[in-house]
Amino acid sequence: MIRRNYILLTLFLLVAGLCIFQYSRRTCEYRSDQFLMDTLVSIKAYGTNAGTVKNAVDAAYVEMHRIAELADGFPKPGTAAWNSSDVCRINEQAGIKPVTVHKDVIAMVTLARKYFELSNGAFDVTIDPVMDQWGFGGENPHIPPPGALGTALALVDSRNLLIDEQARTVFLRTKGMKLDLGAVAKGYATEKAAEVLTRHGITKALIDAGGNIRVLGRNVRDTPWKIGIKDPRKSEAIIAVVSMENAAAVTSGDYYRHFESGGKRYHHILDPRTGYPANQNMSATVVTRDAGLADVLSTVFFVLSPEKALEMAGRIPGVELFLVTADGQIRHSPALNSRLEIKEGSAYHYDPSR
Amino acid sequence: MRNDTRRMVFLALLVAMATALHVAEGMLLVPLPIPGVKLGLANIITLLTLHLFGFKDGFTVALMRVVLGTLVSGMFLSPGFMLALTGAVSSTLIMALLLKYTRCFSMVGVSLAGAAGHNIGQLLAACLLLQSSSVMYYLPVLLMAGIPAGLITGLLLNSLLEHNIKSGILNDFKRT
Amino acid sequence: MTRADKILLAGLLLVSLLSVAAAGSRFFLLSGKSEPLQAVIMSQGKQVRRINLSAGGRSSFAVQGRSGYSTVEIEGGRIRMLNAPCSGQICVKQGWIEHSGQTIVCIPEEMLIRIEGAAPVDAVTR
Repeated sequence: MIRRNYILLTLFLLVAGLCIFQYSRRTCEYRSDQFLMDTLVSIKAYGTNAGTVKNAVDAAYVEMHRIAELADGFPKPGTAAWNSSDVCRINEQAGIKPVTVHKDVIAMVTLARKYFELSNGAFDVTIDPVMDQWGFGGENPHIPPPGALGTALALVDSRNLLIDEQARTVFLRTKGMKLDLGAVAKGYATEKAAEVLTRHGITKALIDAGGNIRVLGRNVRDTPWKIGIKDPRKSEAIIAVVSMENAAAVTSGDYYRHFESGGKRYHHILDPRTGYPANQNMSATVVTRDAGLADVLSTVFFVLSPEKALEMAGRIPGVELFLVTADGQIRHSPALNSRLEIKEGSAYHYDPSR
Repeated sequence: MRNDTRRMVFLALLVAMATALHVAEGMLLVPLPIPGVKLGLANIITLLTLHLFGFKDGFTVALMRVVLGTLVSGMFLSPGFMLALTGAVSSTLIMALLLKYTRCFSMVGVSLAGAAGHNIGQLLAACLLLQSSSVMYYLPVLLMAGIPAGLITGLLLNSLLEHNIKSGILNDFKRT
Repeated sequence: MTRADKILLAGLLLVSLLSVAAAGSRFFLLSGKSEPLQAVIMSQGKQVRRINLSAGGRSSFAVQGRSGYSTVEIEGGRIRMLNAPCSGQICVKQGWIEHSGQTIVCIPEEMLIRIEGAAPVDAVTR
């Protein structure tokens, strides 16, 4: 009789224990948003320990702030932000002397230089003087007078961007040259954030840095993350969905900062070879493992003609491209076929046989 | 008169216990995306009531448990409420029928049947609510989850009743 | 436990095991929350916003209707019309909605808030 009760009690405790154990091991989600780099960065991460997940996400944001500070080209001299920005110091010493920088800045600038070469100048982070002429950073963007544009354009040449990896210095050879890491920094920071999350043991997460997407693992239901590609002309619509795990997706498009003049659209992604906005594509989305690379390549492919872009994408392993060309066609790397779903009813023409 | 008052008080206690169990087991996370899915541990109270007081009171306790439990956990009149209701009704019905018309089952068998009925009833309701029969794929999980719950509650009740034979604590409350 | 109990137990176990076999690969234990919902806000026949209801915290925004601005508020997976310039205020009095298929309608303002099923994507690259 008494023994029977003990058995029952043990059974009950076992079941209760199991339930409590299961409960404590359930997957928790932690989401957080912060404004950084002039945009909203949202991170959601999953794990079995709520405290660990939160710490991981907080640490990821700290890392992104750090990169943002280093790469910020906007602060004025004399401010604290200016002092923490390697880019500001590089720009100030243009034509004077090399500047010692953090290894993250070396990494970003090296990546930029590499693709300057590979794209034959279609991507150039020394484009800033021309950007200034257009006024995209400010309230009143406008078409610059051809003379001023030409002078500024002469300063744009990454061959004059000298990097010394050993000494960890960067030097802009000509006075008046300016560096703009806007096309690299967000993606690079995103990738760094992903590294932080991984170091904390997070295996399922999604970072959305103003549209730069980086996913870790799969989503909480253990299926690949579904990332939508925005319609370049209809802001609420999605024209395609990519399934991805452990990858990044970054889009460059002509629909962000832009203005209309004389019936034409002028946007902020300039072709460094002409000084005018690139007009080959409406948007270019790159899917690859590293978010920094995705950021750089999305700008490169956006500027290049669709044929050249697809050809170049085909030559780089692990990189996939999705384009909405200027004449309204959807084209993409063949490798995307297995993970891409093109939505019905968009205004764009898609020919699956190409 | 005195008997009636005692009976009411005891019933009220039973409802309170059943509600507490209902809420508590709602906090155990079940890995299914259906709101309000439960193991059916609160059945122990329903079964006890059925045994002591019969069908009508047993049903009342079960229904009140569902209403109060969902009120407390904020699910009153939500889909979770529908599921809890059908679960409670189906299990109470099955247990009442078995208690009245069969003699071969001990509390274990009745509560096992009740747990199974509870879960099947819930799934059927979920099917109707979500307009999809794919919900039935969760039947194996729920059935299996219901078996230990049913077993334990049954064994506990068996043990309680045996104890009662010796000490007679429940006799004051029994009908006949 | 009586003999009948044991038979019943064995029977139930058998049925569950059989149904596991029958369900096969569909027998998948899903962990985590249910599908996130999206709310669509239409004004004067056009879609104005599509928003995930599962984002944390409380957020609100203005939507332009027929005669002025209304405020829509989202919190904890629910959405409601916080205030609107219509005279009847029926849409405001309706309070929160949170389930797929539920709607809040403001006829004078020609506004509609509707909750749709599971979100088609987890995020949008842009």
